[in-house]
Amino acid sequence: MSASTSVLEYTQHRRVRLAGLAVAVLAVLGAVATAVFDVPLDRIFTPGYVARSMELAAPITLAAIGGLYAEKSGVFNIGLEGFMIFGAFFAAAATYFVGTGGAVHAWIGIGMSVLLTTMLTVLFAVLLIRYKADQIVAGLGVWFIGLGLVPFTAAIIWGSRNSPRMPGVGRVTVPGASEIPYLGRIVFDQSPLVWLTILIVIGSWVFLYRTRYGYWIQAAGDNPEALDTAGIDVNRVRYAAVIFSGAMAGLGGAVLLAHSSSFVGTGQTMVDGRGWLGIVAYLFGNYNPVGAAAAALLFGGVDMLQGQLQTLDIDASPKLLGLLPYVVVIVVLTGWGKTRVPSSVGEPYESEE
Amino acid sequence: MMDRVAGRMLEATVLERLGIALASITTAILVGLLAVTASGYNPVLFLNNLIVGSIGSERVLARTLRLSTFFVLTGVAVAIAFRAGVFNIGVQGQFIVGGICCTMSILWAAPLLPNGTVGGIVLMLLGTVAAAIGGGLYGALPGVLKAYADANEIITTIMLNFIAIGVVSWLITNPFRAEGATNVRTESLPDNVGLPPIVFGDSGFSVIGLALTLVLVAVVAVVMTRTRSGYDMVTSGYQASAAVYSGVDAKRTIVTTMTFSGAVAGIASALYVIMFQGNFIEPASIHTYGYDAIAVSLLAANNPVGVIPAGLLFGGLNSSGSYIQTYSDVPVQLIDGIVGLVIVFVAAPELFRMAAKRTGLGGDDE
Repeated sequence: MSASTSVLEYTQHRRVRLAGLAVAVLAVLGAVATAVFDVPLDRIFTPGYVARSMELAAPITLAAIGGLYAEKSGVFNIGLEGFMIFGAFFAAAATYFVGTGGAVHAWIGIGMSVLLTTMLTVLFAVLLIRYKADQIVAGLGVWFIGLGLVPFTAAIIWGSRNSPRMPGVGRVTVPGASEIPYLGRIVFDQSPLVWLTILIVIGSWVFLYRTRYGYWIQAAGDNPEALDTAGIDVNRVRYAAVIFSGAMAGLGGAVLLAHSSSFVGTGQTMVDGRGWLGIVAYLFGNYNPVGAAAAALLFGGVDMLQGQLQTLDIDASPKLLGLLPYVVVIVVLTGWGKTRVPSSVGEPYESEE
Repeated sequence: MMDRVAGRMLEATVLERLGIALASITTAILVGLLAVTASGYNPVLFLNNLIVGSIGSERVLARTLRLSTFFVLTGVAVAIAFRAGVFNIGVQGQFIVGGICCTMSILWAAPLLPNGTVGGIVLMLLGTVAAAIGGGLYGALPGVLKAYADANEIITTIMLNFIAIGVVSWLITNPFRAEGATNVRTESLPDNVGLPPIVFGDSGFSVIGLALTLVLVAVVAVVMTRTRSGYDMVTSGYQASAAVYSGVDAKRTIVTTMTFSGAVAGIASALYVIMFQGNFIEPASIHTYGYDAIAVSLLAANNPVGVIPAGLLFGGLNSSGSYIQTYSDVPVQLIDGIVGLVIVFVAAPELFRMAAKRTGLGGDDE
């Protein structure tokens, strides 16, 4: 009894906090934009801006969905950023070797990238689950390996850490419907990868909350003993979830590449923190795929804002505006840090047999 | 009786940890050699370059020792936090903030002080204190956010690294930029600031820098083991609930830990600026000492004294990186990849325990 009331109170309390936070962030951004820079807001939030924000949000969303599946099953995949770097690179390399002629090659690159990143994740999963590696340290290691070996291999293939120009997948334009004011550009004149992402969001929500397997994943993280008693192999469920998370992060990296013109391997590489944004997105979205996608859209929108403000000749340094998503992450984590982490995350599970 | 048993167990784990560290680094280098071979380069030549490039001549040895001091200090900064169970991934950001604080405070104070040696020493002390404060505050921020708002410190510190690079880069391209300089950097420090070149000449490495590094390691080791707040930090990391029951203020300990860790990262940067760089440059092009320091600390099992050999190893590895970049075609990023592999292997000691059992080496405990 008391448990259910406190849960109810908790949600209400959190809703209030979430709403308050969102309103505060928007109000501050709006106030800054209108007062300091004297900007007409309708010239920022154009349909093009929303459509581009969705493109930027897609890779973050995919990484977030992978990450939340792994964490729901009880394994913290902190290597998402690293797997995204591998994903973007594999897509670029595969496209480069099959030919950079057109969208077909880009799609082959995306497919190959998911395959190869998944294979890498199998190794990672074995290390975490069979050899009980420290999940945080190993995940950081994956990031550093990505930051090192990917530019290394890129330099061997292309003689530079950056790739030559790569084909994209273009946009799918629905004749007629794309003429609808505002929504036409956003919905009916959009990258097919954004559509794919939306399908994956819906599919992963249904799978997690409406199928038996989804409950297995949740039980593997929350109550592995019960799942074991029910005769389900906890570690097998975890393997599946971790490998899926790597596949999604790889796909996220490949999508990122398809939405840009070439692979960039200098500095933090072109992934540049998006895997970390993915982790924050699913924390913010409270481990719900739809919530994670909404949070990713917020990050995509903030990321896009810098470009939008520049087109309006606003006198602010692009370097400083580029830091906005990172600041938003810190604000979000501070106002929303207490998420309900699955109770067995980070603990290797050993069957009693 | 209990003490003796505990002592023996501790010794056993120290040996075992040493074994894991050696196995990790060896396996990582072997994988690196495999990558070199697969890319069509000569692995023997590469291995040779690794050795020649780190200890082959007085010049490279000076570079190895110089880099080692930075890795030891940043490694100690990481070790302080990891020991206390706080994942400070933000040492790179704290290093950058500390460095710019050091550089600017020296540049601003220089006109007020005499030109001689005494003035120089005062400036260096001032710069070091400014670096410790800057790095400490930049570390305290995620500490406060973790302690009082439950914000995951792994993510906040990584975000703060990105922010530090962006903001400091903006600062030195705009208000702090040296007039007339072709590349982006601050004004150079005055001539009386710098450590005297002893033994190794004009190499950007001073034996005094090494001595100061070792003194700081000793101080940190003493603070962690012999003082109340150090004890609180270590117990919190070892057994958080036990620490709380014995009256440790968990939230305050997190903030203290992060501040201490950030301050050491700042001091590392003060040494970098004063002994080697002589000004502050584009932060994105500074080597990622703060990230490599994670591997250094983990190799040393987060023990401040153990960080010394681990730091030397990384000094050698990165020193040969510069050599390889100059004298061979192998892309130098391989070294960063090897660092990542070291971290993954250190994370999975079970891998080597099982391997040891298979081969019958040291598998007798358990």
